[in-house]
Amino acid sequence: MKLAYYPGCSLHSTGIEYDISTKRVCEKLGIELVEIKDWICCGSTPAHQRDDLMSIALPAKNLAQVRETGDMKEVCAPCASCYSRLKFAQQRLADDALRKDVEMIIDAKYPGDLIVYHMLDVITEKFGVEAVAQRTTRSLNGLKVACYYGCLMTRPPKVTGKGQFENPTQMESLIQALGGVGVDWNMKTFCCGAAFALTKTDVVLELTRKILADAESVGADVISVGCPLCHANLDGRQTQINAKFNTKFNIPIFYFTQLMGLALGIEPKDLGLHKHITEVGDFLKERALT
Amino acid sequence: MKVVKQQDIKLDSSFAEEIAKRSGENVFLCYQCKKCASGCPSRMFMDSTPTQLMRYAQLGMVDEAMKKNTIWYCVSCQTCSTRCPADIDIAHVIDTMRIIGQEKKLKADDNKLPLFNRLWMTMIRFMGRAYEPGLVGSLNFLSGKPTKDMALGMKMIKKGKLKLFPSFKKPFAMMKMFSRAKKLRK
Repeated sequence: MKLAYYPGCSLHSTGIEYDISTKRVCEKLGIELVEIKDWICCGSTPAHQRDDLMSIALPAKNLAQVRETGDMKEVCAPCASCYSRLKFAQQRLADDALRKDVEMIIDAKYPGDLIVYHMLDVITEKFGVEAVAQRTTRSLNGLKVACYYGCLMTRPPKVTGKGQFENPTQMESLIQALGGVGVDWNMKTFCCGAAFALTKTDVVLELTRKILADAESVGADVISVGCPLCHANLDGRQTQINAKFNTKFNIPIFYFTQLMGLALGIEPKDLGLHKHITEVGDFLKERALT
Repeated sequence: MKVVKQQDIKLDSSFAEEIAKRSGENVFLCYQCKKCASGCPSRMFMDSTPTQLMRYAQLGMVDEAMKKNTIWYCVSCQTCSTRCPADIDIAHVIDTMRIIGQEKKLKADDNKLPLFNRLWMTMIRFMGRAYEPGLVGSLNFLSGKPTKDMALGMKMIKKGKLKLFPSFKKPFAMMKMFSRAKKLRK
């Protein structure tokens, strides 16, 4: 299996362990990821809040770059925000007039025949949960995982094409295949406030607190995520939340690729697990996952 | 609840028409079911609900829609657009209102979001990719809180989660892209 890989800006900075673990896991599973040549920012939230035309042109430029990179028909993005922007662009570019304008802006032909996947879809739908289960060398040993999807992995369904968008379960089936248990909880598609991390931090602290509190109340050991912005908020803001709300959260936040990596027998340091702000080292030892 | 007197309401559909022209969304389809307001995670911070916002747009109450903090507290989570029974992409309507607000340079609650958006797009225009330390530094400096998130930032640098230097991806091609888009809009 060979796919064009669009890491996006976050995976080269705040979400670097997502990039590391995704590459390691795909290598182990025999999924070939070819990084898109000279990829640029997808525009993310600031683009669609400020400049409608560029919010379509930036992802379109990246899709056009796939042609420059190699003969691939499928693109995958691990970041939920990048994934969403690529999908939005594809939907909007069905309009001929807009496509003409965008092609003029990006100075390239827009390829209309690409299929864009989120990394979780690549694993659960294309590769298959069963196939992952066959390759595991270590069980997560009944680890109770709150699977957190956030907003853009599933919403809006008109753009993502997801059938289950209020109560998705694909990550739970993956966790089950790894020997863990996906807990039943309320906040799996609730927003963490992602785009406001730097501008309206109070909103982020409140929304993130709700997510952490719900995971804790149902007895989850860890939260599993598939978005670098969700991770930055849930993992990085726990100290600030504890200070503001007088709570004692110390919940390890993993990317689903890191949990996969552990079950596939990859060393924690090769999965970037030492890079988390909420330390997970002791937890891994306690659960015999190293 | 604020009571609006009838003589204060100017029925004018030009605002709704402008939204429709820019976004393709018809706000008149809204029948005030409040599903968007019920599901909105950011509702508790807003001056009015997304449902009220749709009503203001229908009635041409531009000031109520644009000069309150409501549109600036939308987190773009897509919950309203997903659940709207009239199939209105409400998040897109709000984005459109924000774009109009930024173009007209309307005062937007604390103005931090427009500042952030402007800095982000400038960064992409010259560098092609995000450069977080530069972004956070200039945002905090320009919004008068230079030490915000400093402890977290230091921790991230220690963990190797922040690039110390920006990477430039075809800056000239990027600048050309932006200027072609600017020309097209005129």
